[in-house]
Amino acid sequence: MKKILTATVFALSAATMFSTAAKAEEVYFPIIAKGFSHQFWQAVKAGAEQAAKDNGVTITFEGPETEAQIDKQTDILNAAIAKKPQGLGFAALDSQAQVPALQKAADAGIPIVAFDSGVDSDLPLTTCTTDNVNAAGAAADKMAEAIGGEGKIAAEIHDQTSATGIGRRDGFLNRIKEKYPKIEVVEVQYANDALKAADDIKAMLQAHPDIKGIFASNEGAAIGLSVAIKETGAKIVGIGYDSGKTQKDAIMDGTLYGSITQNPVGIGQCVVNSLAKAVKGEKLEKIIDTGYYWYDKTNMNDPKVAAVLYD
Amino acid sequence: MSVSNDREEAPGGAADREQGAAGQPLLSLSDVEKSFPGVKALRGVRFDLRAGEVHALMGENGAGKSTLMKIITGVYQPDSGEMRVSGEPVSVPDPRAAQALGIGIIHQELFLMNHLTAAQNIFIGREPRKGFGLFVDEQQMRADADALFRRMKVDIDPDVEVGTLTVARQQLVEIAKALSFNSRVLIMDEPTSALNETEVEHLFAIIEDLKRQGVGIVYITHKMDEVKRIADRVTVMRDGQYIDTLPAATTDMATIISLMVGRELADSTRAEGRGAEEEVLRVEGLNRGQVIRNVSFSLRRGEILGFAGLMGAGRTEVARAIFGADPIDSGEITIHGRRQAISSPKDAVALGLAYLSEDRKHFGLVTGMSVSDNITMASWRRFTKGRVFMDDARLREASKDYVARLKVKTPSVFQETRLLSGGNQQKVVIAKWLLRDCDILIFDEPTRGIDIGAKAEIYKLLQGLAAQGKSIIVISSELPEVLRLSHRILVMCEGRITGELDGREATQESIMHLATLRPSIAAE
Amino acid sequence: MTDITLEQAGAKKSSLFSTAALQKGVAFVVLIALLAFFSIFTENFAAWNNMVNIMQATAVNGVLGVAVTFVIISGGIDLAVGTMMTLTAVMAGLVLTNLGMPLPVGIAAALASGGVMGLISGSAIAKLKIPPFIATLGMMQISRGLALVFSGAKPIYFNSTPNYKYLSPESSISSLIPGFEVPNGVFIMFGVAIAASIVLNRSLFGRYIFALGSNEEAARLSGVNVDFWKILTYALSGAICGVAGLLISSRLNSAQPALGLGYELDAIAAVVIGGTSLSGGRGTILGTIIGAFIMSVLTNGLRSMGVQEEWKIVVTGVIIMVAVFVDIILRRRA
Repeated sequence: MKKILTATVFALSAATMFSTAAKAEEVYFPIIAKGFSHQFWQAVKAGAEQAAKDNGVTITFEGPETEAQIDKQTDILNAAIAKKPQGLGFAALDSQAQVPALQKAADAGIPIVAFDSGVDSDLPLTTCTTDNVNAAGAAADKMAEAIGGEGKIAAEIHDQTSATGIGRRDGFLNRIKEKYPKIEVVEVQYANDALKAADDIKAMLQAHPDIKGIFASNEGAAIGLSVAIKETGAKIVGIGYDSGKTQKDAIMDGTLYGSITQNPVGIGQCVVNSLAKAVKGEKLEKIIDTGYYWYDKTNMNDPKVAAVLYD
Repeated sequence: MSVSNDREEAPGGAADREQGAAGQPLLSLSDVEKSFPGVKALRGVRFDLRAGEVHALMGENGAGKSTLMKIITGVYQPDSGEMRVSGEPVSVPDPRAAQALGIGIIHQELFLMNHLTAAQNIFIGREPRKGFGLFVDEQQMRADADALFRRMKVDIDPDVEVGTLTVARQQLVEIAKALSFNSRVLIMDEPTSALNETEVEHLFAIIEDLKRQGVGIVYITHKMDEVKRIADRVTVMRDGQYIDTLPAATTDMATIISLMVGRELADSTRAEGRGAEEEVLRVEGLNRGQVIRNVSFSLRRGEILGFAGLMGAGRTEVARAIFGADPIDSGEITIHGRRQAISSPKDAVALGLAYLSEDRKHFGLVTGMSVSDNITMASWRRFTKGRVFMDDARLREASKDYVARLKVKTPSVFQETRLLSGGNQQKVVIAKWLLRDCDILIFDEPTRGIDIGAKAEIYKLLQGLAAQGKSIIVISSELPEVLRLSHRILVMCEGRITGELDGREATQESIMHLATLRPSIAAE
Repeated sequence: MTDITLEQAGAKKSSLFSTAALQKGVAFVVLIALLAFFSIFTENFAAWNNMVNIMQATAVNGVLGVAVTFVIISGGIDLAVGTMMTLTAVMAGLVLTNLGMPLPVGIAAALASGGVMGLISGSAIAKLKIPPFIATLGMMQISRGLALVFSGAKPIYFNSTPNYKYLSPESSISSLIPGFEVPNGVFIMFGVAIAASIVLNRSLFGRYIFALGSNEEAARLSGVNVDFWKILTYALSGAICGVAGLLISSRLNSAQPALGLGYELDAIAAVVIGGTSLSGGRGTILGTIIGAFIMSVLTNGLRSMGVQEEWKIVVTGVIIMVAVFVDIILRRRA
């Protein structure tokens, strides 16, 4: 019994050591992301922390382990609301399922700022987001340009249910359909990690040896794409999304043609800045587009671009 | 009642005449045949059961008793033959159909759900409902269970969790469950194997009562005295065949045994006395909670020491404690004159101790592995090349050697041990310990689940081992077995040794006296 | 003399028709049937370089499958293999990239860290008597968390160790046999499988693993040091996860700390399809490798046919159930 007690006390005190709980009397915003281990979220976190410093507020940055755990994210959300913060940043894994939980926050008078992907409700004061449809459309334009406006292409999408997955897929496919009738999309496949994406793409290339280009919709898919191109030696145009060192290196050495990046640091800053404004009672736009960048070999070292890329 | 009629005519016909107005026998089977791949399990078997009768079914293991019962209860389908219930030809495609026909069975191993109550166990799958059939009517169920228990004249709380009951009382729950199907035919498969004397008496009283209520009982047993006590008729089977049906009252045991084994058994002999030999094992002041209380004894070279007592007297617990399988509170163990601390079976085996559990399938054998693997398992380290790889050639030679020495009947040493008969499985376990050079062998119920014919062979084997200088402890609930084998007998009751008897002078009565000398009662 | 030959003949016959052998046979037939099916109905499937693709796609799952096979035969389960793999990859990255140590040290770090994690799971199971399912569920989270902590939740790249790619994607053999472009990772998988087979079938350790899985209590009462061998089993499983960690990180040229969840289920599926009994005491490495191949042939083939992702998942599930059903049927008949 004594042993169990000691162990429990030890475990709990260890947990306290690692926690970054807010001190009283401070302006505190919990920021709830869709994940935390992915590089993209680390960059959002960096932007948010920077803005927190600038505004003199305290934030915590949390998220579920995988982007499928809607229930876990809701638990995190509820716990955050219970702490009665002055504001709340939230990137919804599901645009509808979590509205009731958000309603509780709104009822308690907590200002809400959505980020990354929106919520189907009027509750958030604003949404800091990349227009994924528009950005993926830009990737389609680059693809068309690189392959000369005709031929077969394919897409490797990171997820078939999330708003980003759907937005990037449809943004890319619709732009091709509307503007480039001579381009045929032969395959759209899904894989949520780099290794699986690599094997997926190799199988695609096997089935369609005449593919001229492949679009990969996030960092993991882009790593998979570059691995597949390297291993097969296929001469195709690879276009990625987001950043990360592997993807950047692949663009530098010519394996990938280029990528779309969101502005994760900007998203993070936008969330905290908007919340700070809301606390002061300032009015906010309904949607703040944090923008996207196309980057390739030629502009990667441009300071404006380099600032939003992460390793 | 005419035995010859039974033998010459179809069971139905014979019973017809004898039962007169009562009409048909409850249950009758004729010309039942059943084959399994490679084995003819039943050949031309017949059997009948009358209302209010206890009909004992006897035969060695493998004689076909279980197969026959499985056909009656719908587990197996016969290849040919006829089954009638109350004169009507029936087919029993599955156990549910058997229940519907009023045939219930009490298995040797109980099939109860330990965490459910007695009432829940009895009515599982047939719970009385209420509230549009959505809810279990607990009250009704409890009352029904209570009525069953009252009919059996037993005092069991319908709400008690079955796992907390003794085995004997669990068995009563099984019987109540069988009766709840309005069973008119009740099959009992070795119902007394886990019961003590008082519990057996109680069971017999219930059986008598059921007889008076017109229930017919098929009673499968190995125990002659029970047949004498309770059965009206005895049917003997051998090698899947019907041998004979005899009136229990007027048939002597020797006749039944010779029908079962197909030959006369050598008369049981007593162990020879032994002179003073060196002491190999001394146990002093062994204690473990309430189950082992201050046990001390010694074992000599070449001696067979019997441990007698009722179920739960603490004999198995003493054996497991010495072997290091269970922890002890206090006590000293001296082996070959040296004090030893044994904290695990590994230590015990290293000191030359071996424990042969009564539950061979769980504790003695790895039944899914071959005869060879089992014989060599405790010695695998000795059969390696460079301590890493197995030397399969030497392994095979060694196990073949022991298979030949102990006359294990197996097609090859690569046979899976689960396919061997009980006697041969026991020999494999013995071989395992002999190969490991163990010289102190503790046998827990050495002939449990072993045919009468094979028993004699095991006895001879143990006596031979003792003659070669091995020291043997035999724990047995069968008094004739203890009396036949032991040079010296220790009797236990409630965790204590209550007496020591010389093997030549002991009698069943003197052992039973000591076995029921309950210190807890004496103290009160 | 005639007796012995008869016995041997009998033994041979029984092992040929034993359920394990039959199941392996069934799995093999399924694999051949799938290969034939896709070759006929899918253009470009049967090409040699696609076979190489399939082999390469099998490597990680095959090695993880081997790791779990040991544990499952011993009567346990290991849910931590996927995340232990990730942790070992991160450890290799720390040692090679952050500390700048030479390649062999990195390899040793991956194998040793896997072994240590396995040792911890095994000790929790053998000594603290925590059920394997729970203990390895805990280890799954522990190793996942540690992988994120040690890596700072960022991928670690192996750019400073150019030879690292020789562990998986490079093909050393193609310099000996031009055109035979089989990546080293595939040979490592087969090497691990062969070594594992020898350990399982020929060594004392292997014999104890079967005995533990068949009847642990009987083994204990036979004087076998059950705890020791059990811990060793999990440690070995962990070390093999280290091999998988090297393979995956070499192929991606980075240790991805967020990866690994879900790999344990693929590995267990491969083991089960390969005819290893989840209740322990029965199974083969060859079966597991065939099982892993069935899974990747299915993925690759359905992909080549252009079957939707959603349906691919459904088909894989059906195959797992069919494989286990066949196993049950065969065992019932035996």
